[in-house]
Amino acid sequence: MRELPDFEIYSPSSLRDLLEYLHGDGRDATIIANGTDLLPRIRRGELRPRRLVDISGVRELRYIREEGGVIKIGALTTISDLAGSHLLSHSRYEAFHVLSRMFGTWEIRNRATVGGNLGAAASSEDLIPIFLALDARVRLLSLGGERVLRVDELVVAKRRTSRRGDEVIAEVSFKSLGEGEWSYFQKIGRRRTHIIALVSLASYLRLSPDGVIEDVRLAFNRVRGKIPERAWRTEEFLRDRRIDEEVISGAERVLESELRLTSDYRASYLYRTEVAKVFLRRALRHSRDMVLGGVESVAEA
Amino acid sequence: MPRLRVRLRVNGVEHELEVGGGERLIDTLRNRLNIKSVKEGCSTGDCGTCTVLMDGEPINSCITLTAQANGREITTLEGIGRPGDPHPLQITFAELAATQCGYCIPGIIMAAKSLLDRNPNPSGEEVRWMLAEHLCRCTGYGRIVEAVLEAARILRSR
Ligand SMILES: Cc1cc2nc3c(=O)[nH]c(=O)nc-3n(C[C@H](O)[C@H](O)[C@H](O)COP(=O)(O)OP(=O)(O)OC[C@H]3O[C@@H](n4cnc5c(N)ncnc54)[C@H](O)[C@@H]3O)c2cc1C
Ligand code: FES
Ligand code: FES
Repeated sequence: MRELPDFEIYSPSSLRDLLEYLHGDGRDATIIANGTDLLPRIRRGELRPRRLVDISGVRELRYIREEGGVIKIGALTTISDLAGSHLLSHSRYEAFHVLSRMFGTWEIRNRATVGGNLGAAASSEDLIPIFLALDARVRLLSLGGERVLRVDELVVAKRRTSRRGDEVIAEVSFKSLGEGEWSYFQKIGRRRTHIIALVSLASYLRLSPDGVIEDVRLAFNRVRGKIPERAWRTEEFLRDRRIDEEVISGAERVLESELRLTSDYRASYLYRTEVAKVFLRRALRHSRDMVLGGVESVAEA
Repeated sequence: MPRLRVRLRVNGVEHELEVGGGERLIDTLRNRLNIKSVKEGCSTGDCGTCTVLMDGEPINSCITLTAQANGREITTLEGIGRPGDPHPLQITFAELAATQCGYCIPGIIMAAKSLLDRNPNPSGEEVRWMLAEHLCRCTGYGRIVEAVLEAARILRSR
């Protein structure tokens, strides 16, 4: 009744087999991981691929490990895998923990992959701001070797990545979080378990024991364009300052001048800007309270 | 288009099928294997009506290709109980009148089954979180929550 158009599909069973295929016949094939982004798009008629390469059986790409202070996540790792990983269980990885309440549905979290989220390259993809905030690196593999890119080098425009046809996104990695560091993610949409974030903010902070911001990265689903980006000027304003109400207000003003949001049928730019400011305020207060151990100001948010 | 040979284990029975690349799991289950409990709502992963278990995990069969289910174990409502020997969820949904038109119920029961397999004693809050991801246009959800909690009690007492 509501079938998909037919296409050719090749399912390699190993990474080697996949890379050889991408190098030869499969250079112009569309990669499908678990299809939670791709298949709805094919159904809606936005895409009409003739040939798919199904990487879901390439088991070597599903892992989470920690090596030399770096967390490494294979591209086929699912959102449910992230939520269940003991390597990410420390409360300072809160950005990942909130996904089990905010990312899609349970059925989707069981399927949605890390590589697919990056590959989808849109402002609705929650892992893109999170990996931007964690200053992650993306490893692309091809038969010829590897390339390591920052997330903003990979996701270059709405629905466009800098991946070459013979490459596959293999791994995302970032430095393990330690003392004084905190990651957080906030998102608002129309339905709690729905895909499209009207506004989201992924934040990373490193605070000194007396509450001075030593490092900060703030990635919104949108800042200037239609893909997630960092709010560089707001970050710069915050660096080396102590989080208090005055600094928070100052940061909100910088953010307001930095954001170039637009209105669409989902929400006006005024609404989005207001929510972005609220998220910034909450991220700063929350991260400070969690790192410094005080909880007295949580209620202010 | 070339056909693909796919092996599926559905409700404990092995099947070997030839499918096209674009064939969805929901179509294979309904049209070839005549498993009609699996219902289609939105076709885009949003409503939960088509939920089945793949290796024990709830997934949306409307956005899963049969080719990608190769070698996997699929469980549908037909696989968790039979008329003479129903699953506790099937008993409590009927007894507590948790269904109205019934269209959304197979998907909800499959997700509930997976929830109870993982957590035999869920709170009402946990059941509501699970349900937040399934659309039902009839019941108002209240009795569904009760039916899941009651089934959990029965399972724990066994
Ligand atoms: C109901 C619903 C709710 C959703 N909610 C959310 C949400 O809350 N937050 C969110 O972020 N997303 C959400 N999504 C979108 C989707 O689940 C995510 O984008 C998911 O991470 C995609 O992973 P996938 O394995 O299904 O990717 P696929 O659909 O298989 O692929 C997505 C894209 O990435 C490319 N790709 C995949 N893997 C690779 C790889 N290893 N190398 C190179 N390219 C690759 C594909 O070619 C394709 O263009 C939702 C989707 C649905 C249907
Ligand atoms: S029909 Fe599959 S989720 Fe709605
Ligand atoms: S009982 Fe009718 S949609 Fe749920």
